[in-house]
Amino acid sequence: MTEFLQLLVIGLLEGGLYAMVAVAMVLVYKSTHVVSLAHGQFMGFGALAFWFVLVQLKMPIVVALVLALCFAAAVGWAVERFAMRPLIGQPLFAAFLTTFATFLMMDGLFQLILKGESASFAAYLPLGSISVAGKPLPTTQLASFGASLLLFAGLAVFFRFTKVGLGMRATAEDHQLAQSTGITVRSIFSYIWMLSTVVATFAGIALANVSDIYFTLPYMGIKGLIVALVGGLDSLPGALLAGLLLGVLENVSAGYLDPIVGGGVKEVAAYVLLLLVLLIRPYGLLGLVRIERI
Amino acid sequence: MWRPCGIFDETYRQDMAIVRTPLRWGVLTVSVGVLLAAPLFCSYYIVSVLNTLAITVIAVLGLQIVTGYCGQVSFGQAAFMAVGAYSSAILTEKLGLSFWIAMPVAGVITGMYGLLGGAPSMRIKGFYLAVATIAIHFVTMWLVQHLEITGKSVGLPVSPPQIGPFAFDSDERMFYIIIPVMLAMTYGARNIVRTRVGRAFVAVRDNDLAAQVMGINIYYYKLLAFFISCFYAGVAGSLWAHYHGVCHPEQFQLLRGLWYIGMLIVGGLGSIPGVFFGVILIRALDESVLMLSPYFAQWFPWLGTAPAAGLGLSAFGLVLALFLIKEPRGLAHRWEIMKASIRLYPFAY
Repeated sequence: MTEFLQLLVIGLLEGGLYAMVAVAMVLVYKSTHVVSLAHGQFMGFGALAFWFVLVQLKMPIVVALVLALCFAAAVGWAVERFAMRPLIGQPLFAAFLTTFATFLMMDGLFQLILKGESASFAAYLPLGSISVAGKPLPTTQLASFGASLLLFAGLAVFFRFTKVGLGMRATAEDHQLAQSTGITVRSIFSYIWMLSTVVATFAGIALANVSDIYFTLPYMGIKGLIVALVGGLDSLPGALLAGLLLGVLENVSAGYLDPIVGGGVKEVAAYVLLLLVLLIRPYGLLGLVRIERI
Repeated sequence: MWRPCGIFDETYRQDMAIVRTPLRWGVLTVSVGVLLAAPLFCSYYIVSVLNTLAITVIAVLGLQIVTGYCGQVSFGQAAFMAVGAYSSAILTEKLGLSFWIAMPVAGVITGMYGLLGGAPSMRIKGFYLAVATIAIHFVTMWLVQHLEITGKSVGLPVSPPQIGPFAFDSDERMFYIIIPVMLAMTYGARNIVRTRVGRAFVAVRDNDLAAQVMGINIYYYKLLAFFISCFYAGVAGSLWAHYHGVCHPEQFQLLRGLWYIGMLIVGGLGSIPGVFFGVILIRALDESVLMLSPYFAQWFPWLGTAPAAGLGLSAFGLVLALFLIKEPRGLAHRWEIMKASIRLYPFAY
């Protein structure tokens, strides 16, 4: 039983990180109806910028964080301006494939910068572990999880009380209606991409804190996409729920099934879950149910 | 069927022929002849490039049928190729069948597996299906790496094809298996897409509701498209395994399936010649990056000593994005425009 509890807690901690990546994708999908494959790279590059300022330039953490987030916003603006905006009016699928092209382009750059090595952080968060119910929990993971919860709270406030946040919600409802009430949909798209890359950068930094920056980091974006799909592409609470669910499922299934099949269950559990959810509830756990014939 | 001015089909046979005019026969005969004679005057390296190109063409032809004609995007072609390669390897090495039986059987096995891969298309479409195929890729490759019969992460050795004592064990010899198979598969693809089945695929792609109203069983045709596509992938995988002499999970990574989709977009969705354009252009891009990368490493020392992989990926992504934004119909569309303007020369229209 204690083993199960420990797996559960570790799963929840990891799930918080997955949820952050998924939130970044849900933000973009809600307002622009574009499913983005490129967010894994935003994570990777954000973490890399943070690492560069913190470790190479030896700046304090706050400066590094601010610079990394500014860099992320610039990347988001550039992607929206040069890859997404020319495709307004084209089928949404073209935009999906363009985010895929963006992923490849940035993946090449990422590999060029890393050169097959990994970039690791010196410990900037308190190391060690806290004992919970007699089981040790690593503090770095706890800190990352706490950061992701803070981020969720911040997003909730942003969407409820700020003018831009309300404009984004209006745009998500209906582009033409939003435009006719005086919201500039075009700049909202731009803000959305910037906000979503900032969130992805947060996730990237939190992930890189747990495991170093390695060339596989951008591929965690696929996990984020799975979480977004499982939770429902247009639901922020769904992303949180599905993220935690996936984290727990991965760890619990790995903990119990690995000895039976000989390892590696963790890599594949997410995909099996995705296939099941897509077959049973294609719109996700909390997503808006669309009525259409397939 | 659209015909240019001055071309009259007088008989039914002439109207239905795939290669219709004497000029086309001439061009086709000469180019196939030159291609088949290539090992006589080309270097070893070029022959090996041609072999890889031809195998890629077969896999991308399959993708063209399911994605370009039937409109169901599949990122999982690499995993389907792996299924073909491994089943061919198991059939020849463990069951002792000859390559000539194993290759088509591997194709059919992969096609059956593709029915499994196409099953989600009953409930989902568009990018949902695309992501589902990514999931299928990972599940397949996980199985390949964990089952006893596929040699786990070590892979399987594969022996070259044989006719009696004659073994096709060099690049030049394999060339004479791969190229005819590619030609036959191209002929097959061209035929499929203009039959009743092919027209049904196009109807499903263009408007699935309208297709259903016209009495097309959408789900049946989607599955059929997946079957045909995976048959192509299986044959390509079988050739790949026997050409390289080994099956290894590293050969069939997700990135390969992504490249194939990219080739398709660059070449043009819904066009058989487009497959050739896309495969050749992307390969040429890759080769030129490979050739230029030492200079890049000299000019920009921060790139490191081996920038080829990263540079190639970036260049590919850039070309893909440019095509999606500037020329979404791909090179095949340019090719049609060029043919029309040559035919009409010196008039504008």
